[in-house]
Amino acid sequence: MTVTVDPALLADARRERRFFLSLSLPALFIVGLAAILPILWIIRQSFLTTGGEYTVGNYTKVLSSGLTWSALVTTLELSLGTLAICIVLGIPLALALASARPRVANLLMAFVMLPLWTAILVRTYGWLVLLRRDGLINAALTGSGLTAEPLPLVYNFTGTLIGMVHYMLPLFLLPVYAAMRDIDPNLIRASASMGATLGQVIRTVIMPLSAGGIFSGSVIVLIYSIGFFITPAVLGGGKVNPLSTRIERALSTFQDWGSASVLGILLLVLMALIGVMLLAARRLLAQTTVAAAHA
Amino acid sequence: MSWLRISLTAFAISAALPVHAQTLTITTAGGDYGNAMKEAMWGPAAKELGYDVREETLSDGLAALKMQVTSGAIATDIIHLGSPEGAQAAAQSLLEPLDYKIIDAKSVPEGAASDYCYPFDSYGTVMSWNTKTYGENPPKTWAEFWDVAKFPGRRALRANAQDSIEIALLSEGVAPADVYAVLSTPEGLERAIMRLEAIKPDVAVWWTSGAQSAQLLKDGEADLVVTWNGRAETVRKDGGAADYTFKGSVIGTDCLGVPKGAPNKEAAMKLIAAMTQPVRVAKLTDFIAYGPVNPAAYEGGLIPEDRLKTLATAPENAGTSVFSNSQWWVKNGEAAQQAFDEMMAR
Repeated sequence: MTVTVDPALLADARRERRFFLSLSLPALFIVGLAAILPILWIIRQSFLTTGGEYTVGNYTKVLSSGLTWSALVTTLELSLGTLAICIVLGIPLALALASARPRVANLLMAFVMLPLWTAILVRTYGWLVLLRRDGLINAALTGSGLTAEPLPLVYNFTGTLIGMVHYMLPLFLLPVYAAMRDIDPNLIRASASMGATLGQVIRTVIMPLSAGGIFSGSVIVLIYSIGFFITPAVLGGGKVNPLSTRIERALSTFQDWGSASVLGILLLVLMALIGVMLLAARRLLAQTTVAAAHA
Repeated sequence: MSWLRISLTAFAISAALPVHAQTLTITTAGGDYGNAMKEAMWGPAAKELGYDVREETLSDGLAALKMQVTSGAIATDIIHLGSPEGAQAAAQSLLEPLDYKIIDAKSVPEGAASDYCYPFDSYGTVMSWNTKTYGENPPKTWAEFWDVAKFPGRRALRANAQDSIEIALLSEGVAPADVYAVLSTPEGLERAIMRLEAIKPDVAVWWTSGAQSAQLLKDGEADLVVTWNGRAETVRKDGGAADYTFKGSVIGTDCLGVPKGAPNKEAAMKLIAAMTQPVRVAKLTDFIAYGPVNPAAYEGGLIPEDRLKTLATAPENAGTSVFSNSQWWVKNGEAAQQAFDEMMAR
């Protein structure tokens, strides 16, 4: 079957596309200026000595240091840990929000968004008040006799993870909630009417249809977490040192812009790798879902 | 023709203005310290010289200085740095040489002298403790700080090799005068790092800012805190259950420098000379417990007798302390920090 389309209409559509493209030019220009140029500058800087001569010494120095690799491991542990907790906490929360009545959902959403409107430093120091040895949580725990000694909740990996999850959860929740809210309720009713249990509905209807949202949420969480600095610096007690703290050390203690730039590029490569891996995972997932549907 | 007269007058006024009101920018660390410097030092000095001085505040002066000088966009005429950072900045040619025709060269003791960054006040890295934990019998020396069996409790140290490796050697009985000689040997640095590693399990927090160390002491989050004397004194004065000792302190100095290519070089030198007059650096101790470097400031009762014991460089506090050696740190700082960071990552 062939459909003939009026060429005038096609030309019209082309014109419209071009018009929309031209509207995005100012934004593209700003992105180019604010993102691409500094990155080029950092790449150039990574090949310069302090005196301004070309060298690959910064790379050999940074990549041969055990500190870089242990910082890389810490970065990955923090990011993946944050993502895992966000998934475990965020998906049920998004399900609850999407199935609640609109008024209740809006109210709950406001609570979820509240932390996003608070400055990160304020929030981080807020956690100190809650988590430290004589803080609210430990006072409640020891006061009620649940624990004999205050728990080490802050100035370590645990505290850092708590602070990061608190920051990232709303950002994870938003796309997941949006995807779940857009699922046609009739699909859920239909599957239920055909005898699907709640678990089956979630597994075979809701999850596949909100996979896009979960995917976007995960990308946001990972990309933000990889560069986190303030939370590990304040809540980590000097014991949690991801790549961002190595960059700070190179810049502020050693004034070694070359090494700091190499570390920055390492972060960039890490983000690109994670992006590629997630994209591949998503494509694979889509294929298997389609295959399963056709089977 | 009246418009011409008016514009000529305007021209004459604008040409004359810079002569009457020299504008300068000074960059300090801000906070209580920055305010103290403004009240006691550059505020009155600017008034005396008739300068219009603007203040910028930065917590990381050296990084900012490097950024400004390298990019050629120098936004400050005077910058406040720690002396090791000052020496580092000088080594990277980020500072103008000080003009000792304008600044009095005799105002600095020989050991602290610098050609690029003028040392004006001093502080001690001291041992402080929670008086609720230790009562009348606190640890008195760095050896006792390391003695976790006799003095159980949570320790807090700075997440930086600076001062920590000096303290580590003092705790093993190295004499204050020999600290840098020992550190200059590879085994010496290794020995200091091993000593820090030994206390690591008992270190609850490795702090990264002075304000943080004060908070740890005040909240009782740590029982024994290595901190700067000004911070410990503030906690004690505010009614915190804390005390400290100058025994075995590492004395550091802060300094004032002029960025390479600063717009108002000569006026900057004049302001440095005026703001560091003995009476003004003595006045600084009204606000914060950082003692003058210039010995003349301790003469003539400029500083009240009872305050002297709160100052690191006061004559009675000097004996057991080590003067932080900026030259050593410029030369060996990166290697020392590297070894320290590796110890932290183990």
